[in-house]
Formats: sequence, C-alpha cells, structure tokens
Amino acid sequence: MLNGLAIGSVYAIFALGYTLIFSVLRIINFTHGAIFTLGAYAAYALTGSPLGINGLLAGLTLPFRLPFVLALVGGSIVAAVCGVIVERLAFRPLRARGADPLLSLVSSLGVAVALVNITQYLFGAEPYSYPDPLASLPSAVNFGTAGQPVLVRTVQVVIFAVSMVMLALLTYLMNATRTGKALRAVAEDTTTSSLLGIDTDRLILLTFIISGFLGGVTGTLIGLSVGIAGPYFGIAFGLKGLAVIVLGGLGDIPGAVVGGLIIGLAEAFVPAQHIAYREAVPFALLFIVLLVRPQGLLGRAQVQKV
Amino acid sequence: MSVAPAVAPGGAPALDLLEVDDVTCTFGGVVAVNAVSFRVPRGELFGLIGPNGAGKTTLFNIVTGLTAPSAGHLRYQDEDITGLPPHRIASRGIARTFQNVRLFGELSALENVMIARHVRTRSGLVSGVLGMGSARREEQATRERAAALLALVGLADRPEERARNFSYGDQRRLEIARALALEPELLLLDEPAAGMNPGEKRALSDLIRSVRSRLGLTILLIEHHVPLVMDLCDRIAVLNFGQLIALGPPAEVRKSPAVIEAYLGDEA
Amino acid sequence: MATFLATYDFLLVSMVLAAVLALTLYLPLMAGQLSVASPGFYALGGYIAAILSTKVFHPGPGLYPIQLVLVEMVAAAVVSGILGLVVGLPALRLRGIFLALATIAFVQILGVVALNLQVTGGAIGIFGIPQPFSNQLSYMWVALPLLLLSMLFVARLERSRTGRALVALREDELAAAAMGVSPTYYKVLAFTTSAVLAGMVGAVSAHFINTWNSRQGTFDTSVNLMAFVLVGGSRTFVGPVVGGLVLTALPEALRGIADVGGLPGWLAQFLRDGRLIIFGVLIALGTVFFPQGLITPGLLRHLGRRRRVPHS
Repeated sequence: MLNGLAIGSVYAIFALGYTLIFSVLRIINFTHGAIFTLGAYAAYALTGSPLGINGLLAGLTLPFRLPFVLALVGGSIVAAVCGVIVERLAFRPLRARGADPLLSLVSSLGVAVALVNITQYLFGAEPYSYPDPLASLPSAVNFGTAGQPVLVRTVQVVIFAVSMVMLALLTYLMNATRTGKALRAVAEDTTTSSLLGIDTDRLILLTFIISGFLGGVTGTLIGLSVGIAGPYFGIAFGLKGLAVIVLGGLGDIPGAVVGGLIIGLAEAFVPAQHIAYREAVPFALLFIVLLVRPQGLLGRAQVQKV
Repeated sequence: MSVAPAVAPGGAPALDLLEVDDVTCTFGGVVAVNAVSFRVPRGELFGLIGPNGAGKTTLFNIVTGLTAPSAGHLRYQDEDITGLPPHRIASRGIARTFQNVRLFGELSALENVMIARHVRTRSGLVSGVLGMGSARREEQATRERAAALLALVGLADRPEERARNFSYGDQRRLEIARALALEPELLLLDEPAAGMNPGEKRALSDLIRSVRSRLGLTILLIEHHVPLVMDLCDRIAVLNFGQLIALGPPAEVRKSPAVIEAYLGDEA
Repeated sequence: MATFLATYDFLLVSMVLAAVLALTLYLPLMAGQLSVASPGFYALGGYIAAILSTKVFHPGPGLYPIQLVLVEMVAAAVVSGILGLVVGLPALRLRGIFLALATIAFVQILGVVALNLQVTGGAIGIFGIPQPFSNQLSYMWVALPLLLLSMLFVARLERSRTGRALVALREDELAAAAMGVSPTYYKVLAFTTSAVLAGMVGAVSAHFINTWNSRQGTFDTSVNLMAFVLVGGSRTFVGPVVGGLVLTALPEALRGIADVGGLPGWLAQFLRDGRLIIFGVLIALGTVFFPQGLITPGLLRHLGRRRRVPHS
C-alpha cells in the first residue's frame, strides 16, 4: 500500500504539470512526457556525469559538475525553456487559428515523438543513473515500529513530500494570488480576458514555464528513484499520465494528485497472479472513466451550448 | 390571451400539429423556458418573438430534440416526442434552420440540400458502394429533388459552389432549401431574416408565404424584425424571460400591455 | 527492373499494406472522428491468422494454401467487426479528445493482454508463421488487390448517401442530426468498417512478416498512421494512400542516401535512424500548416482540370 502511494505520488507530480496546461488552455500537452525526459537528462548532464556510448554525444562530459540539487534545478530550467519553445512552435499557431483542441493534441503528439527520439539520438537508449545525492541520508525511513519495521526508501518519501508541496503551492497560486485569478480568467475565456487587459500571452508563457519546470523536477526525481531507463519512458509516462489526469478530472489540480494516487494504489493492489496485467490497469481505468464519467472524479460536467 | 387553436380557412376546426405542454427547461441555475404551453394547428404560420435571451431558440431546440426539457411534454401529430433525439424528430417531419447558420460549409450547395434527403431515402452502405440500380436511381432522384429546391429559393445558378462562399443572405436561403429537402410538415425558422436588407426581407417574406401555400407547411417563425412577423403570421406568441406573456393574432398582441412593457427600451 | 523488385520486395509490399492501413484511420475521420484504434484491430487480425495457421490448420510441408490465408482474413474481418461493434457502440458516444483518448487506451489494453496470454505466445509471440508464397514479392498478389479494392470501396463510399452522411457529421454533427442523420449509427458504421479492414491487413501481415507479437500494432503504429493521413491528406481517400506509400518508402530512401557515403557521421546516422523524428516533425508541421494534408480535394480538382485543357 505504501508502495502504491509512492508510485502514485510519482504519477501525481507528473500529472500536475500535465493538468495545469489543460486547466489554462484546455489542451492536452502530450509533450509533457518528452520535456520531463529532457529535464532528467539535462540534470544528469549537469551533475557532470559522462553520457552514454550509444548516442551522438557519446562519452561527452560537461566541464563542470553541480551538486545534485542545483543540477535538478538546472535541468528543470532547461525543461521549462523547452516547454516555452514547444509552445511557440506547436501550440501558438493553432491557438491563433482557433483550432480544435484535438489538433493541439495531435500536434503535441508529433512534437513529443520527435523530441523523445531526438533525445535518444543524442543521449543513447541505455539506462543512466545519477550519482547518489542522498548518500548522507539513511537509505530508508521506517514508518513502523522497531519490532515491525515498515521501510520506505528515502527517495520515495522525498517524492511524496515534493508532490504534496507542489500541490499546495499550485493550489495556493491558482486560488489565492492575483496571477492565479488571471490564469483562471484566461482558462474561462481567452478573448474576454485579453480585452479586460490581462496579458494572456505572458500568462500562457508562465503556465508553460511552471509546467515545464515541474516536468523537469519530476523527471529528475523519478530518474533518481528508478534510474533513467531510456528516453522512451517519457512516452510511456505521457500515455499513463493521460489516464491520471482524466481520472482526476481534466484541468483539476487536486484531481491530478487524486488520480495519481488512485492509479498508483490500483497498480499496487493487482493480485500477484495477474501481475502481468498491471500495465493495463491505468488504461482500463481510463477507458471506463471516459465512458462513465468523462469529467473525472473531481471535474464538473460540461454543458454543451447549442 | 387566447390559447385555443385557430380556425383554419374553410371553417372546420383544425387538427393541432404541434402541442407544447407546460415545457420547462433549466440550465444550471437558469430557467431558460418556464412552463410554456401552446398549440399550433396544421397550416398555421406561428410567430415567436421576444427580447434577446427570452428562450425562443431554446424552445426551438427542445422541439427539435437538441435539448431535452426538464419538465413538460411535446406532442406532434398526436405522438409524444418528448426526449427523442434530433434525427428521429427530423424523420417524423420536423425541419429547422438555425439562428447562426449551420450549413455544411465545405460542401457544395447541392450537397447540403442532398444530405437533408437522408430520411426520405434508404440506400445503405452496401447498395451504395456496389452501385446497385436502386441506389443509383435514388441518387439521381435525390440530385434532381435538391436542384429543384435550390431553384425554389432562387439559388439554382450555383449548385456546385461551396456553401461557405455564399453571401450571408444566400446562406440563409440555402438553409431553408436544405430544411425543405426533409419534406417536413412542420418547419421551424430561427431568425431567417437576420442580416438581410429590406429588399431581401421582402423576398424572404414572399418565399415563406409561397412555400407555405405550395407545400402545405405549418411554420414556426422566430424573428426580431417585428414588422415582418406582424405581416406574415396568423398568431404570435411572445416570450420574456422564458415565460409566455402573450399569445394571439398580431393585432391583439401588439396592443398587449405586457408585451409593450417587455419591449420597453428594445427596438420594435 | 528485376533486381530493383528483388531488392525492394519487402519494402514494396510493406508500402502497399501501409497504404491500406492508412485508410483505416481515414474511415472514422470521414465522420470527423479521430480514432487510433485500428492498430489494435490490426494486431488482433494478425494474431488470428498466426494462431489459426500455426495451431489450428495443420498444413503439410510446402507452401501454405492461399485459400487458408483468405479464410483467415475473413475470420479476422468477422472478429474485428464484432469487437469493433462492442467497443464502438459505447465509445463513439464520446467526442473529440475523449474519443481519441479512449482509442489510445484500447490499443494499450490490447497490447498488454496480448503480451500475457498463452495463446498469443506471451512476450515472444508467435513465430514460424507458414508462408503461402515462395518469395516476398508474391505477396503483392494479395496486398495489391486488397489496396485497390479498399480504395474502390472508399471512393464509392465517398460518393454515396452513406458517405454524405459521414461528411455531414464531420462538418457539423448537430446540424446533421437535425437533418435526420443518426450520429451514433454512422459513427459506429465507420468505426466498424475501419476495424474490419485493419483486421484483414493484420491477417496478411502476419504471414508476410512471418512472426507476430505484441510489438505489432502499438501506439507507434498509431503515430505512423497519423503521419500518413496528416501528411498525405485527410479530406480525400487518395491522401492516406499516397501518405502511406510515400512515408513508408521515405526511411528507406533516406537510408539509401546515407549509404552513398561522403556525409558526416551524425547526418548519416540521423538519416538511417531518424524515421520517428521525421514523422513526429511532419505530424506537428502538418497540423500547424497543412491540416488538410498535401493531397486535398482542391488539388485533385485542379489536376483533373489541367488534364482536360490541352484539348481546347
């Protein structure tokens, strides 16, 4: 069960960035998975570690090395910048045309596939692992008693803590700050918001920066937890992330966390004999939710105006 | 305010084609249509007016099945059609045009009208693809029917032109041709004169009259241009904030204090 | 000529099969539905053919009888059709993004199931699928008619009452319904027809590729199909066919250029392995700049007119 929460909080942080974009722009940004991968690789490079032998940049090592936390931040900044570039190239022209959100999904899918494969081309497909930054901390935290230890890996506790902090920060941002209110105005109606003097472009930029940064953080933390298993895990996460954000409610920030935790727990509770089907669980849930309650658990039903 | 069915020309009591019975529709917290009841006898030209947001289009959407009422019933030719989906209502002979023209923009004028022949034709996937004789004959008939309707509304010269290229006024006429292709007995026109100049409005008025008498239609008309409505309609219903505040022949409605008050500040 | 055909036999047949598969994305798209479910039915069709030919029909030595391949295709068509109905009826009440997501989920679920069932051979899949032909190029005897017949089918569909209904739904579903077109019926029809076609392609492909496992018919395939249709053209059946043919040949052509030599190492490697990068970029460019694809109905009309002019 703790394992489920651990995995779930991983999904949750990923989904936060994912759903943030939907909450403001009403589009699904499939590149989130690719950007989170890039962030992880960038952080890895910034720790001064050598790059793998399969990619174009084989054997390259940056001439400096940063302590892990700084590398994390640096990698996330790289991710945020990539997010902005993607927005400019893939989303803005569609938004200017007033195109259907479905086109944005397809376009972001194309960019994600291209990005992940470029990453693979540059860095190679073999697994990487970070030099251990938590060496000074105990490797596991004991949630039980001395007699009946319930051990959870420290890194998983960190991830869970980070996800809760991020959730709190984002919720605070969206609900209690002026920027948050402006963001929600843009989400309701972009045209009216800009007529009211809200700088929609800058806000959308901000959204992508936050989302990209979150993606980078997530990617690096996950990479720390399970190692980077090759760039394709960005696509896998992107796909699973869809299940998470739909389950929680598209655009709903607490929903992202709820969805993540539920899917994490659901995967953890698959009985042993069916363990092979675990990967199908998120998608089965996605399918069912779409049929039964497409607005997700925390979302509001959308009324269509004729 | 009279709710009794009008007497058709000829003296005999008319059969009610459409019966709107205590229909209410609520969206979220807003009551768009509030316990509206009226009957439309066969052959009548029935007008529906009211300030913006009064619920007229919502009422049309309810009659054509695009929106389900929260309460109340609809009867058409003595059959309860409440809650039926739009395509089933269309197949029973109720056709409409839309307030914001909803043509199939990428398709040609002819194709737009041909599509509405759907419920009057039957060839399916197999016969269509195989090009069986019956399908081909039906296709030819559909084409001819559509061309005739285009001629009826005065758009016979550009059948292959894409619908989105037509002028606004022509698009509205095309929408009428399309609705007529359904061979309806009840035609709902939602602000057909919007955006037309006076000359076009006169032509439209004539078209509506001619269509009604030649095809024996019953027509429900939403219009903002009050002179047009007063001129054309046998009876008029007035909605305000979703409620029916007046119903009767034009002369009567025009003098109704409730109507005058509702329109106070609005252009007549 | 003979050496060309011999060298590229695998590629040519793959191109043709890809073109048919592209049509399976096109069919629901005619009704305005983005459904990436066809890779799932493609995988299913392949498994049916693989299982039937390796475990049910016990062929003797020598070539596998072509009639049995046709039987498998029919079986694949029927099963895909039924599954298409079962999945389509509930799923097609969804619109836009939600439908696309549901079809993505469908393909993922099928993939995991295929990976784990005994009968599908688990992770290893099924191999040693019997061959009805002695060489790869002969598969054209099945692939090409399949392509031509599908093209004919879709072309006639586009001109028929049913095709009009689909296009009306694509243009404006609400207005189409108000004009008497039943959205659910036609969307399910397009979806199921697409499933049937995808299943048949899968059945042929299983024999063609000789092995079949859960790596066939995945999200990757969806990406390919989207590239074919987005680049080739989404408004006429010619588009996906051209897209499928050209984009399947493209990686090979690039590989050929890379092999010519004289190029810097990184570029050569990019040309060899960069298929997905190129497809991804094409999809993005396509949606942003050419949402109707390269082959549009306007282009076809223009080409049709130009051919007639010289006789004036």
